[in-house]
Amino acid sequence: MPRAALHGLLALAAAPLVIAALTACGTTPQTTLEPTTESARRSLWLLQFVFWAAVAVFVVVEGALVYILIRYRRRRGDGLPAQTHGHTRLEIAWTIAPAILIAVVAVLTVPKIFDDAQAAKPGDLTIQATGHQWWFEFVYPDLGVVTANELHMPVNTSTEIQLQSKDVLHSFWVPRLRGKLDMVPGRTNKFVIRPEVVGTFQGQCAEFCGTAHALMKFTVVVESQADFDAWVQRQLDDRTQPASELARTGETLLASGGCVACHTIRGTDAQGTIGPDLTHVGGRSHIASGVLPNTTDGLRQWLQDPQAVKPGNRMVIPSLTEDQIDALVAYLQGLT
Amino acid sequence: MATLSANVPDTRIFSGTAWSWITTVDHKRIAVLYLVTSLGFFLVGGLEALLLRLQLSRPELDIVAPDRFVELFTMHGTTMVFLALMPLSAAFFNLLIPLMIGARDVAFPRLNALSYWIYLFGGIFINISFVAGGAPNAGWFGYAPLTAVQFESTHAIDFWAFGLQILGISSILASINFIVTIINMRAPGMTLNRMPMFVWMSMITAFLIIFAFPAITVGLILLIFDRYLSTSFFLPGGGGDPILWQHMFWVFGHPEVYILILPAMGIVSEILPTFSRKPLFGYAVVAYSGAAIALLGFGVWTHHMFTVGLGPIADTAFAISTMAIAVPTGVKIFNWIATLYGGSISFKTPMLFAIGMVAMFIIGGLSGVILGSPPIDSQTQDTYFVVAHLHYVLFGGTVFGLFAGIYHWFSKITGRLMHDGWGKVHFILMMLGFNLTFLPQHLLGIDGMPRRIHTYPSDMGFDLWNMLSTIGAFMIALSIVVFAVNALRSTRSGEVAGSDPWDGGTLEWTIPSPPPVYNFAEIPVVNSQYPAWDAKRGSGHTGADNPTLEHDPNASHSNIHMPNPSYWPILLAAGLVLAACGLIFHQVLILLGAMIFGISLFGWIEEPAA
Repeated sequence: MPRAALHGLLALAAAPLVIAALTACGTTPQTTLEPTTESARRSLWLLQFVFWAAVAVFVVVEGALVYILIRYRRRRGDGLPAQTHGHTRLEIAWTIAPAILIAVVAVLTVPKIFDDAQAAKPGDLTIQATGHQWWFEFVYPDLGVVTANELHMPVNTSTEIQLQSKDVLHSFWVPRLRGKLDMVPGRTNKFVIRPEVVGTFQGQCAEFCGTAHALMKFTVVVESQADFDAWVQRQLDDRTQPASELARTGETLLASGGCVACHTIRGTDAQGTIGPDLTHVGGRSHIASGVLPNTTDGLRQWLQDPQAVKPGNRMVIPSLTEDQIDALVAYLQGLT
Repeated sequence: MATLSANVPDTRIFSGTAWSWITTVDHKRIAVLYLVTSLGFFLVGGLEALLLRLQLSRPELDIVAPDRFVELFTMHGTTMVFLALMPLSAAFFNLLIPLMIGARDVAFPRLNALSYWIYLFGGIFINISFVAGGAPNAGWFGYAPLTAVQFESTHAIDFWAFGLQILGISSILASINFIVTIINMRAPGMTLNRMPMFVWMSMITAFLIIFAFPAITVGLILLIFDRYLSTSFFLPGGGGDPILWQHMFWVFGHPEVYILILPAMGIVSEILPTFSRKPLFGYAVVAYSGAAIALLGFGVWTHHMFTVGLGPIADTAFAISTMAIAVPTGVKIFNWIATLYGGSISFKTPMLFAIGMVAMFIIGGLSGVILGSPPIDSQTQDTYFVVAHLHYVLFGGTVFGLFAGIYHWFSKITGRLMHDGWGKVHFILMMLGFNLTFLPQHLLGIDGMPRRIHTYPSDMGFDLWNMLSTIGAFMIALSIVVFAVNALRSTRSGEVAGSDPWDGGTLEWTIPSPPPVYNFAEIPVVNSQYPAWDAKRGSGHTGADNPTLEHDPNASHSNIHMPNPSYWPILLAAGLVLAACGLIFHQVLILLGAMIFGISLFGWIEEPAA
């Protein structure tokens, strides 16, 4: 069998593998195949529709190609084949057929573009998300909450996210909640998310923003209204007083070191706004914008050498001794 | 001129002194220069890709540091688009346009040489950055404000901006040259709808270049102003808008992808008929589709910006125009398949790559339709799904098409055929490796892996597909080694081809391989789309009356004068690029470069043109 035909068949054989893989994947953190909002379901539904239409076109067209290559391969003694130049009716037909298919995709697509663009209603919860190199700032203007890298939302409530950037382009993307929207300096983009499922969802910056672009992630915690209200109350409090001697040492170190220049810890003299607000950092699941778990090891690794974890980031600190790190870790873990 | 032995090809095309190459204005030699240089840059871009894939083969590897990684993906894209694929197409424009239209050279031979030297020096200029403070590192698309001087204070972005300007000049000059050649220098009887489809696609590409490049030229000038003169075209702090850059870039960038694919489509439109022994099906429709794609191609650019927040009306308009462009593209595919239908198909290596191109381009086109719907695109934009799509059309489409062309016309330049068996090995390895590399990337995008990231954690579900993708990349590399060895050995000891090894239908197959410097001893008169088939098969094939290739009775075939070689093109190019170096290294070079440029311009003007 001619090699080209063999390869055509291989390509066709690959298609079921692709399909199997697509449907067999479990729920990985950022998959677009497990939507939990109407908007994300819209995107997935359209993807599935166009994908299967594409598979059908693929099977028909590549199948025709393979068939023709086998059927009309040159055999010994072949004369000159009929020198056909064209067939107007056929050409019209195969211009109209794809046009119809495309029109169907367009007709299905356009209303969903407008659905996705629906504005927030007055009274909806508002969150301002600002992209920085390389972390996410979250402010709830109506509630007075300022936090970073971990976003909380009440379930079954429409929330408007307003996107801005302090420096370069970033993008706000939590695949299981919604398609992405860019954070453009000088402009405010807005979209509405109405989460339907309680859980923790992973997001990641999706617009190249410099060396540590891969390391700019965030978490969205969707919870009941009661839990959300409790979280808001917590966030509005000043920082938890350090509970141990070690933690008190940590607070002193933080105040006397350069940390106050960049970080805010309400209730202390740390009022910097260059880096993330740390007032309640102890309660977050991750640190360094989703890159390290918020555990003793994670905190140690970060404080030992932030540049090693996230090369090029703006946290440039002098080397700390092990004791100093112990104290700071104790303090930060207490800031729940 | 010395007489040639009947069987041994005249390899004078490869011989000659270095000076003869430096001063050549012969389109065939310039084609060889483009071919060799672009294949060299293809290797550079390929190495960059292998490093990227190595770093991403497993989670959280530390093989390539993040700041290097960012340079590598920026340069991989820039090198492949501007230094490999476009010049490889230019190699074919140079070799084939005069031969296919029955001309002895292009309209402006010295300008032709100039385009090449500007390309070569520009390519070197951009790559010097690796050892001169850092290579460009803001992506091949250089989005503002990451390219602003406050975010990148080294000269990395300046190398990129000036380098692209230089390369743009090369492309625009070459395009003017080819358009004038095609419009004015066709053989008698060769109306526009009798010229080979490759020539049609080349002409459309040349128009695309002339209309698209000014957008990026202006954008780069404004970027350079922002970086050097403290303006704020793209900086919100000073009243500018980063989105303006995106519009300007993509107004160029989208037509650019059609610039990249149309030549390969032209090549395939020649090879499929040749190896099926029947004419291209629906010649007129294929030509009009190419023109329609070019025109529509200027109306879709914002589909690269669906996630920027331009609003539902803009997104809708561009979604519709993007889907519309799928129609003429699909039509061409059907016409190619119909060309094969009812034919007598031979599976030589050029044909395998041409068929591979069609098969892979179908997949790339389908993933493009998926991306063209904004609600879908909101999830797939900036992920590996886009990386998969672009490689299916640019590698599966353009690279496969260009390799088809290399195997097909190799003997026309060298007089010898590439080894067909090893060509098939190259094809199989490349086909398998290419699909292994890029098919899993569709899944990576759907699974939520963004692009342009230097690493990923191990609990994301990305591991298996990344490993497979890297293995595929190394298979591609192996296939290129097979190709390179085949090409080098065949130049010396490949089977002697003669003028027409494939029973081709177009004019280039009616002259010796390699052609004499004047191409045609007598300019032929053309009566159909396939004058060579007419001449060999007699009348009744295409309705032509004349069984042999007719010649213009008024043409003189003694004393053919070809344009003289000239050293002004290389000097002018050197002056231009030296001045660009001055903008980065030392201002005195600007003066020196400008002087050389001025002297060369004057020398060129004063030199007799013929």
